[in-house]
Amino acid sequence: MAFNGHQRDDDAVDEDETPSKQPRSNKEMPGYFRNEPGSEAAAPAGRATPDRRSSNSTARHRSDSVKKTRPPFPWFGMDIGGTLVKLVYFEPKDITAEEEQEEVENLKSIRRYLTSNTAYGKTGIRDVHLELQDLTLCGRTGNLHFIRFPTHDLPAFLQMGRNKHFSSLHTTLCATGGGAYKFESDFRTMADLQLHKLDELDCLIRGVLYIDSVVSSGPSECYYFENPTDPDHCVQKPYTLENPYPLLLVNIGSGVSILAVYSENNYKRVTGTSLGGGTFLGLCCLLTGCSTFEEALEMASQGESTRVDKLVRDIYGGDYERFGLPGWAVASSFGNMMSKEKRESVSKEDLARATLVTITNNIGSITRMCALNENIERVVFVGNFLRVNTLSMKLLAYAMDYWSKGQLKALFLRHEGYFGAVGALLELLHPS
Amino acid sequence: MKLITEKKPAFPWFGMDIGGTLVKLVYFEPVDITAEEEQEEVENLKSIRRYLTSNVAYGKTGVRDVHLELRNLTMCGRTGNLHFIRFPTQAMPRFIQMGRDKNFSSLHTTLCATGGGAYKFENDFRTMADLELLKLDELDCLIRGLLFVDRVGFNGHPECYYFQNPSDTQSCVKKPCTLDNPFPMLLVNIGSGVSILAVYSENNYKRVTGTSLGGGTFLGLCCLLTGCETFEEALEMASKGDSTNVDKLVKDIYGGDYERFGLQGSAVASSFGHMMSKEKRDSISKEDLARATLVTITNNIGSIARMCAVNEKIERVVFVGNFLRINTVSTKLLAYAMDFWSKGQLRALFLEHEGYFGAVGALMELLKTTEDP
Repeated sequence: MAFNGHQRDDDAVDEDETPSKQPRSNKEMPGYFRNEPGSEAAAPAGRATPDRRSSNSTARHRSDSVKKTRPPFPWFGMDIGGTLVKLVYFEPKDITAEEEQEEVENLKSIRRYLTSNTAYGKTGIRDVHLELQDLTLCGRTGNLHFIRFPTHDLPAFLQMGRNKHFSSLHTTLCATGGGAYKFESDFRTMADLQLHKLDELDCLIRGVLYIDSVVSSGPSECYYFENPTDPDHCVQKPYTLENPYPLLLVNIGSGVSILAVYSENNYKRVTGTSLGGGTFLGLCCLLTGCSTFEEALEMASQGESTRVDKLVRDIYGGDYERFGLPGWAVASSFGNMMSKEKRESVSKEDLARATLVTITNNIGSITRMCALNENIERVVFVGNFLRVNTLSMKLLAYAMDYWSKGQLKALFLRHEGYFGAVGALLELLHPS
Repeated sequence: MKLITEKKPAFPWFGMDIGGTLVKLVYFEPVDITAEEEQEEVENLKSIRRYLTSNVAYGKTGVRDVHLELRNLTMCGRTGNLHFIRFPTQAMPRFIQMGRDKNFSSLHTTLCATGGGAYKFENDFRTMADLELLKLDELDCLIRGLLFVDRVGFNGHPECYYFQNPSDTQSCVKKPCTLDNPFPMLLVNIGSGVSILAVYSENNYKRVTGTSLGGGTFLGLCCLLTGCETFEEALEMASKGDSTNVDKLVKDIYGGDYERFGLQGSAVASSFGHMMSKEKRDSISKEDLARATLVTITNNIGSIARMCAVNEKIERVVFVGNFLRINTVSTKLLAYAMDFWSKGQLRALFLEHEGYFGAVGALMELLKTTEDP
């Protein structure tokens, strides 16, 4: 039987993955660097199932009692969004000598290419700090890798898939996000690949619940901010998402979807807003001449939005007490910009900051209304708008807390924008 | 109806709403002045009346909206015309200066003022023109003014209107209506910023929420993105642009509809979402940017209003505020959005005197009377 092919097994349910949370290991992993509280440095990779040791030996840890239909390698989950493609790749580490010998060349080359690089082409990136090591999935042990590239470069990706004869591997490619629909025929015609299309919100929820349950050592997947407005005392704190329901899940990608999640299979899309990450980036590019998300954030970190926005105190001369609006609250975003003098006195950095603050606060405000209406106190923010964007996270944390008078809590997840792709991978391995 | 007479305030009768961007002034011009009264009238009062009623523009930026004039109105036992005047809040110092030059303070009239500026400029009025403001809350005044104007009507025509068939450009038509049994209503005031109120009766309302993405945002962003300088220019550009060149639509991401959640391909998924691409930035026009800004701000307000209406269980949503002045693009968009996203459950209503209700409410506080039959 082909080691990479389907294992014809009985119908026993696979229980050796998604273990219930293990107690966190304090063991320092070699090669990690410390995560300073409140710092924005990349955190060490989380490790799953710490009690299982990964091994380069020929011993495989697949339990013989666990037999089920396993899809052939490679195992990918893909989320083709409006701006970014998110790819998760499972790299098996328990390959026996025998399996290695039988492994077809292009599969080997794919594995090597992905795991020995952290950048691909001009725009592809592997987020090494997010790698999950020693994960057990479907009876195999390995590392889960997190890769992203702009949707704009999908044609180059398809070309690569074609050049590497991906289609000959007869693997199912599970894909979610709008692009799974939009590019379905391109996958077929350019790379002879059939996509198994999945709904992005189904995958998102599935991915969130899975990742939170398997990250059991290293930094917590879920966290919140204590003292979000006090730069000296603002600190990230871990949070356990046990009994997660009900949960309000706010997915901030190019646009925003807000979901009320009552159980793993019971959720509804409450609403959405088109003022999302794409708006932030698009407006920033127009207003400041920047070209990338990272540049935009860099500028925003140095700017002062109060020069651009019209605050309550600019209109009232102080607080608008009657309705509890403090003087520092924004009354009209970009409201000062109708004045020529003021336009000439602000910097690009100020404009970038105002754009960030405006988009973030709008999302926060809409979220708060939803939380109130759905009677949900916990709000989890995900999506790549929050990637390397501590400014927005802290703003959201503060806004949720302040405007709800402490009733609402803003939570964040380390794997931010990758949950859809993880959910797609899970569908490959455990079709629902 | 019995006329409840209280001590009538001295002329002139003004109501003032000093907002974040515009000052709205309503002025009651008595037309039933007897010969005796005229003779006794002090000079500066006469001069104020003449100045206001014989001009339609004041200085460089003051405008009297003649088309909004309410004629032969009876207020507090006097008959006259109600005039609607506006000027940028930036010109407030000059206005106060004028009040000083015309010895306004000698008239011993109470100046009822609302809006944030009533608080912000209170001292300036005192020190520069020796005038004491009677400060009133802007939302109290808004509701009072709105109900009054709807009651008295617009020179025999209804004040309130809506759009029939808002999603059909061919057959979309403006239709009058009255706010009979107006409560409960959701009132969305779109000025520099936005306040959303749930109104249960004339004296029972709550401010549900607000958003800082309002008229000031539209104008500010437009000035930055297109180089325009006024609201009128910005609207002119927007009327000629195509926002779909700027916005990323659902179909740009999905290749079609996102059926699972009922999102049509033509819906905006990410406002300004195309603008992260240099190619696309180079290919759009200023008009497209102005249009996208207008659509983005308007739809965001509509979306938030809709959420409030659903939560408060109110079906009628009344939109007011000067963002909607001469802005048919936004009024139609709001009408459409309310109708479409609520599957016909919600109705958007509009009022002709848009941004003036706060000032009218302030005037009414001055008069503190019920209207004559």
